[in-house]
Amino acid sequence: MLGTASHRQETHPPQRADALADLVFPDQDGNEVRLGDLWAERPAALVWLRHYG
Amino acid sequence: MGRAKEKFEAAGANLVLIGQLTPRHAAHFRRRQNVDVPVLADNDRASYKAAGAKIATFNELLGPKVTAKGILTSARTGQRQGRTLGHPAQLGGAMVIAPGGEVVWSHMAQDAGDNATAEQILAAIPSAARA
Repeated sequence: MLGTASHRQETHPPQRADALADLVFPDQDGNEVRLGDLWAERPAALVWLRHYG
Repeated sequence: MGRAKEKFEAAGANLVLIGQLTPRHAAHFRRRQNVDVPVLADNDRASYKAAGAKIATFNELLGPKVTAKGILTSARTGQRQGRTLGHPAQLGGAMVIAPGGEVVWSHMAQDAGDNATAEQILAAIPSAARA
């Protein structure tokens, strides 16, 4: 139901962001952003939204 | 998190939000929630997987504890949840990454009501700057 998991899952955040660095996504204006560029020169805080509601 | 851009700028960090679906959805969210930071659209949820976010069970999504927490949060903030768009059971989280790629702090949600505050995230910025 609602795409829920049948069994409780564990979170597993990585110790390094290497797997995130080369991902590229459009922003709200359609401009492509490579995630690794966000922390190339200074710290970056990434927040994953559960949904847009 | 909506008007947090200045605080993170002052702390010397970039702040971005990542959501599901398309740039159009991201733009609508920014307008509706009065958000002043960039919102990236991850249609395939690839970054959610790479960040170690999880899919909620029904109880983690709509169980009594989660629902009660949501009601309290709505009462405190005045925000109401709108229509759910995207994968409804996908949970989110937050991460602070140092230059060089070390993840110095993370909080991936354990249920739908488990969200890091802007203050918690900001508190991790100095250690990222030193890493």
